Amino acid sequence: MKQKPRLTNHLRLFMLVTFLFTGCMKDKITKTYRISTPIFEVLTKFRETIKSQPAMDIGVAGKITIDGKYIYLSEPLKGIHVFDNSNPASPKNVSFINIPGNEDMAISGKTLYADAYGDLVTFDISDPVNVVAKNFAANVFPDHAIYAYNAQFTAGIAFNPDSVNVIVGYTTRDTTVDYDPGSNYPLYSGCPTCSFVTPLSSMAPVAAVPNKTATNGSTARFSIINKFLYTVGYSSLTAFDISNSFAPALTSTVQINWHVETIYPLKNRLFVGTNNGMYMYDVQSSPATPALIGQFTHVRACDPVIADDKYAYVTLNDSSACLGFVNQLQIIDIRDVSNPVEVRLYQLTHPVGLSKDGNTLFVCDGRDGLKIYNAADVNNLQMIKQFNDAVDYDVIAENGIAIVVASNGIFEYDYSDLSNIHLISKIQTQAE
Amino acid sequence: MKSLLCFTLVVCWSAIVCGQQKTEPGRCQFHSVNSVGLLEGETGSAFQIQSINGMKHGSWFTGIGVGLDFYRYRTIPLFIDFRKEFGHRANKFFAYADAGVNFAWLTDKEKQIYQMDDHFSAGFYTDLGLGYKIGLGKSNHLLLALGYSLKKLKETYNAYDWYSPPDYPLYKEHIDYNLNRLTIKIGWEFLSETKPYRESLLAPH
Repeated sequence: MKQKPRLTNHLRLFMLVTFLFTGCMKDKITKTYRISTPIFEVLTKFRETIKSQPAMDIGVAGKITIDGKYIYLSEPLKGIHVFDNSNPASPKNVSFINIPGNEDMAISGKTLYADAYGDLVTFDISDPVNVVAKNFAANVFPDHAIYAYNAQFTAGIAFNPDSVNVIVGYTTRDTTVDYDPGSNYPLYSGCPTCSFVTPLSSMAPVAAVPNKTATNGSTARFSIINKFLYTVGYSSLTAFDISNSFAPALTSTVQINWHVETIYPLKNRLFVGTNNGMYMYDVQSSPATPALIGQFTHVRACDPVIADDKYAYVTLNDSSACLGFVNQLQIIDIRDVSNPVEVRLYQLTHPVGLSKDGNTLFVCDGRDGLKIYNAADVNNLQMIKQFNDAVDYDVIAENGIAIVVASNGIFEYDYSDLSNIHLISKIQTQAE
Repeated sequence: MKSLLCFTLVVCWSAIVCGQQKTEPGRCQFHSVNSVGLLEGETGSAFQIQSINGMKHGSWFTGIGVGLDFYRYRTIPLFIDFRKEFGHRANKFFAYADAGVNFAWLTDKEKQIYQMDDHFSAGFYTDLGLGYKIGLGKSNHLLLALGYSLKKLKETYNAYDWYSPPDYPLYKEHIDYNLNRLTIKIGWEFLSETKPYRESLLAPH
């Protein structure tokens, strides 16, 4: 008689097969990424292209600086557009300064300081239509450097720019490789072209010390206080002595924190916004080497900062670049800088740049546009007006005119009468 | 969308097949197969749970399944299930084949907070195997099954290097996961005998 298979036998069979085949089960995980190969150009040739050109349309609007009747608008990595804003109702696009790799700028007197990848370029802007490059401080922003490995720099020793190659583009191709699941962590391959050097600083003085500084937007990474230009890199604060205005000399680099974003000057203090907090530096006692005097930490977020004598105004947003997840305006009492205290939080949509003129606070709130508040009582901001003209990034408000950088243009609002704030002009960009 | 269309077709097919059993009323049966199991692979061991519901005709069964799969990344498989029984005893062997898609439903722990704009796309899912069915009365069965399961996923994120030059070309990288596992399931199957629609209309109330 045929015997029925018993349950225990089947269970044994299952366990045996499981034991035998488990080792055969391998995961197949592949990663597809892009390999970029740099295209080089000789530095001399590269620098020859850095000069004024006829005015051209704005592709993408970047950082903004206001210097008297002129607006300087950076187009990221391209250069700086110059506008004659004598009549804010009808600004005129007068020239374009071609500066490959440019992102930031600051102006003091008749000198414009702008980055060109890793270099700090000094321009004479006596005639904003015909700007002339006067000096190149080489590789002072190593985070953005594009010099090839063959670049050999030694502190204080001039080098031949013909011997240096710079990267002016890339050719790319995709590749797929087996991927180790255990290595699923961020890869810091580092900048393949970065070389950390001390800049050239031995040039003879050629100009007097400037004393009039232009106004930067709150997202700026360059700032000038008295005879010093301060810049922030990804994790550092660098000071340049600009006593000799056309030959800035690097005096110190202070390590701050990972992912520094903005710098804002107020009297003899610098407010540095990073993605995990605001840092305050004193530049009065030792302007060549800023000293940390206070800090206020917050959750991870992008955070431009401005300040007045009593309060710092910090916007936090959830841009993916900062890996953030909050959208807030933080107001912090900084009367005791060694012990800053949060006063009030306001929930916003996606706040970025901001500006304050008297008791009027201007906040660029992403797709919600420009929000204008009466900030006489920081515990109870009262909205005066909101403009939904565009996705706004940054604003400079002074002398009754608020100049706003937005996704699709530059907007100018007249707020001289707070009961009748209105748009007076718009400069269109090609980007929407 | 394609998956939805497939499921709709399977359901319609099952309904048509059952509706055509005029000569053998009562042969079309609703079955529900609910199981929990273990997934064993290179990544390690993981838990799974499934519910498959469909119609059985003779020794053939077709149904739609949904589940939770915790292997490497938590996903929700949605699939068509075909199975064939062998023999007429209460205890018998069966073979099954599942095919469908699995949707990522990552736990907070699995989310890659350091990747920018990280996104998982739905991928192919299949499970093929053999099992043994043990009768527990007229309408219930205990199931034991052993099979091979493949789960595919595609992770896409912005490639970004904080220390790259500013105009370094940005692009998206992707990781393709082909996760091969041995699957061991224990389940409970119950049936609910249904009469063809036409017959039910004619039946006295």
